[in-house]
Amino acid sequence: MKVPVDWLRDYVPLEMPLDELAHRLAVTSCEVERVSRRGIPWENGNHDLFVVGHVLSAEKHPNADRLQLCKVDVGETEPAQIVCGAWNFGAGATVAVARPGATMPDGLVLERRKLRGEVSEGMILSERELELSQDHDGIMVLAAPGAADAPRPGTPLAELFALSEDILEVEVTGNRPDLLSVYGIAREVAALYGLPLAPPPGVAPSLSGDEKIAIDIQDAVGCPRYIGRVFRDVKVGPSPAWLKARVLGAGMRPISNIVDITNYVMVAFGSPLHAFDLDRLAEQRIVVRRAGAGEKMEILGGVEYTFDARDLLICDGAGPVAIAGIKGGEATGVTETTTNVLLEAANFEPHELLATSERLRLRTDGSNRWEKGVDPHAAGRAATLATQLIVELAGARWTGDNDVHQGLPGREVIALRPARTDAIIGVVTPPAQQTALLTSLGFDVAEGALTGPDFPGGAGQPTLSVTVPTWRARDIAREIDVVEEIARFQLDALPATLPARRELFGTLTEAQRLRRRVEDVLVGAGLAEAYTGTLTGHDPDPRALRLPDPLGGDQEVMRTRLLNGLVESAERNINVGTAGVALFEIARVYLPAPADGDLPDERWHVAGIVEGGYFRAKAVVELLLSAFRADWAFEPAADLGDLGQGARLRGRGAAADGGPAGGGPVGGTVSLLPAATLDGAWGTFEIDLPLLFAAVPGHTTYEDVVTFPSVKNDIAVVVDEGVASGDLLAAVREAGGPELGEAAVFDVYRGGQVSQGAKSVAISLSFRSPERTLADEDAAVHRARILKTLAERFGATLRG
Amino acid sequence: MVPLAPVNWDAYQADGVAALAAATDADAVEEARVRFLGRKAALPLALREVRDRETGMLLNTVRKAIEEAAAEAELRLAAAVAGRGLDFDPTEPASLHGGALPAGSLHPITQTRREIEDVFLGLGYEVIDGREVETTRYNFDALNFPDWHPARSPLASLFFDRDRLLRTETSPSQIRTMETRKPPIYMVSHGRVYRRDATDATHYPVFHQIEGLAIDRGLTLADLKGTLLHLMRALFGPQREVRFRTHYFPFTEPSMEPDVSCFLCDGKGCRVCKHSGWIEMGGSGMVDPKLFEFVGYDPEEYTGFAFGLGIERIVQLRHGVPDIRLLWHNDLRVLRQF
Ligand SMILES: [Zn+2]
Repeated sequence: MKVPVDWLRDYVPLEMPLDELAHRLAVTSCEVERVSRRGIPWENGNHDLFVVGHVLSAEKHPNADRLQLCKVDVGETEPAQIVCGAWNFGAGATVAVARPGATMPDGLVLERRKLRGEVSEGMILSERELELSQDHDGIMVLAAPGAADAPRPGTPLAELFALSEDILEVEVTGNRPDLLSVYGIAREVAALYGLPLAPPPGVAPSLSGDEKIAIDIQDAVGCPRYIGRVFRDVKVGPSPAWLKARVLGAGMRPISNIVDITNYVMVAFGSPLHAFDLDRLAEQRIVVRRAGAGEKMEILGGVEYTFDARDLLICDGAGPVAIAGIKGGEATGVTETTTNVLLEAANFEPHELLATSERLRLRTDGSNRWEKGVDPHAAGRAATLATQLIVELAGARWTGDNDVHQGLPGREVIALRPARTDAIIGVVTPPAQQTALLTSLGFDVAEGALTGPDFPGGAGQPTLSVTVPTWRARDIAREIDVVEEIARFQLDALPATLPARRELFGTLTEAQRLRRRVEDVLVGAGLAEAYTGTLTGHDPDPRALRLPDPLGGDQEVMRTRLLNGLVESAERNINVGTAGVALFEIARVYLPAPADGDLPDERWHVAGIVEGGYFRAKAVVELLLSAFRADWAFEPAADLGDLGQGARLRGRGAAADGGPAGGGPVGGTVSLLPAATLDGAWGTFEIDLPLLFAAVPGHTTYEDVVTFPSVKNDIAVVVDEGVASGDLLAAVREAGGPELGEAAVFDVYRGGQVSQGAKSVAISLSFRSPERTLADEDAAVHRARILKTLAERFGATLRG
Repeated sequence: MVPLAPVNWDAYQADGVAALAAATDADAVEEARVRFLGRKAALPLALREVRDRETGMLLNTVRKAIEEAAAEAELRLAAAVAGRGLDFDPTEPASLHGGALPAGSLHPITQTRREIEDVFLGLGYEVIDGREVETTRYNFDALNFPDWHPARSPLASLFFDRDRLLRTETSPSQIRTMETRKPPIYMVSHGRVYRRDATDATHYPVFHQIEGLAIDRGLTLADLKGTLLHLMRALFGPQREVRFRTHYFPFTEPSMEPDVSCFLCDGKGCRVCKHSGWIEMGGSGMVDPKLFEFVGYDPEEYTGFAFGLGIERIVQLRHGVPDIRLLWHNDLRVLRQF
């Protein structure tokens, strides 16, 4: 909201620099986005160069058909000669004049100069040049010829209306609709600086008539209060300059005196108003009701809206004339020909109104206030000020009044323990100061009773009895809410302390510690960590969780694996010519729950993609597994779908699901990506971290590998091509017995003396015992047993 | 013919290899070569005289060893960098010698996340892993979001159905933690949160939040300020100050937005702090008693504070990353800077 500072000064005597005010308001009350300025620069006495002028004569310029040559009394002994391009005035008019040397809003400096051979000493101003409107409809006539109340020539224009304004642009949180008003901001400023706050503006003129417009509220929840006031003999016309300046300063466009008054009062009190052309209201009555399904209305500006039964409408005897609180109808709005007006000052329930505004995608200055909850009492004050202005500025007679409601809400009384305030904030605010602060914010504070025996915090504590002002009723209902009122004024005094701890805990969990290690191992292996999106366009699991209304087609599915994002990232890197791409990510995947509607199983995965083919990826996985001492097997897999072929990782523990003997659950994959997916040879891996961590030996006990030397022994066996090295090695481990230490494949040889379709696999073995030095004979026994097993299982023959 | 004096060939080989290894210039190499392998040296003479296979093999082994030492010495000298007294060029890249190891990198989000975690581990906080797909009960109801709150709208949040959505903040993990234990609680929780935001330089529909919660006897707003000050000084330097601005959140009362004094201009005002000297950091406040009611704590016995910060925002500020999307593009030209 834009708060013109001059307007604010009507209600509170501001003396402080604006920057300081903006800073302090931002701390206690609402965000101040900026301090901006509208209008004529005021520096270096510039305002003094803008004065009232009296046109003595106006004739055609001798050398230019489209220009007038004027003599203007500007309060000096000699009239000024001014050349002017507009023709909407003549001798006798009172106008606004800028003298030579004046700086205009756009920075232009006026000079005395010749226009088509005639000297022009300044400029007769239009509203646009004064930033009072966007219109170019000729110059601004302050008073018609012969007007009795015409200001005297030479009067500074600044005495008639605000030539320039500083404007605080504030953003208000949803709990403070009272701050969407200049008067509300003034109240905060007064409390902040201990300044007096002027009483609410508006003095009702006397009612000259007894017309009662029928008001039928059929939905008292949606519309708890409706004030309808009748005005006769209304002269609709432009607003005076001061009102235009105010309306412009608040960020709105001046339209006509009646419309400007409703906008002005809305900004003053935060309670929106609407004016109807009374003569266009069928049967001259008001019905407030929910819409019928499919009911339609054209709003101001000519757009038609269709409603349903949730939308609250203001209707006349025939049909809808306004969307309650949001926008008036085209057919019943105030126009230049309006002579009788019905002023609406109502109160609307915020949440239904917000829903309607969202449904219709129609947000207005009015709806923005109603949806936050406007004080029902404010409607009365708003009506009073608007009535005064309509009578004064539009020459109207106020002839009818009707205020329909079923009783206005009373004020909540809250018991505040001043000591509780201090306990929450951590700084002492004496009770008298708490009382003073609350009072300046419009609370009524009285000495309260001591807390009773049933009080949860203990009996016998002194309290203050705090009565909440009506404009804060929605926000303040509990003691803690009152504490916040004190706290926000103590923020600059708040010390920085740390909790006094009585017990200490705080370590990473096992899984968190291990995840950090996965990150570190992979960084050490030369991979760069990536972050890719949770939501993807496609996922291999058809049951994957889907958003019914996604942000886009490529952000629809909750991924069940990480690799999609990494493949895309790798591709982006290839496309910009980066070499040696190696990426990993640690994040969650979302496995659909067995039952619909349950929450998915969110599991941490690690995945990687590396340039250089399958074995580059496998090297990374081998490193990871050995870093974690995880004894997992690589199980050949030709069918990894879009990941290509490679291996599944399987724990050697018992299968939880009673699967194949010796096979734990599949903990991940390593693959060679199909060549069609990415250019070049790319290896990938993806591992389920909870399964990996479950395979990490929990506790390491020292094993004596030092005292007795080990015996090394290599074997080379010939097997069919189809036998996997990993299977051979697993069989070696199984057959090797407890004295087998390391077993590793160190060479695979094809060709030469090895027949076609077979391969020779060389395996290094080492045997040791913690109790004695093994002899070559001991090793020979183990070796023979291993060879026998390999022969039985794989038809392996010892290579000579 | 003069019979040759018996020679200790092991010592001969050792002397020859040592002389060549000690040679520091080409002359010394040549001199040693002549002395041990030249026409008049003992070895070639003996080889000419040799009659049995065993002696022949022994002498050949000795000759081979000395010849290799000579070749090595020549190579060594050839590679020496003139004038530096070095036997090789130590500034050549290891990749030319088969020894290059690739460098990996930890994502800046992870680096900052870990730093924040470590700050709070140091303050005796636990790190709690929440969940991302949440129920409206934990994401809104338990956090005291009123029915009409705009975050409950599908226009603001990503829903799977009426009851399930992608969490809009990490706070549901606070409720889940409070439900399962009694105070004192000191925890941080971090991870991905989701909003239906249009993407621009500072907004992305997924971002990482880190959120803290402390519940104990006697905690105050001043304790919250001190805790955030400690964090901000760890992240942005020891000279930083923290100030609070009043705000509104459903789950805290009073609610505050913390600002940190600008680390670039020291509070004097610059582009980054929008000439205010202060940088907005997130949201915070004292835990609303309604949350205590929800989980069955006595608000008269315990008070607590909570705060939430965006990790990407901190990363962008600390490293001058102009666009949040750079943190999600995984461009190695970017990642390798960190
Ligand atoms: Zn700065």
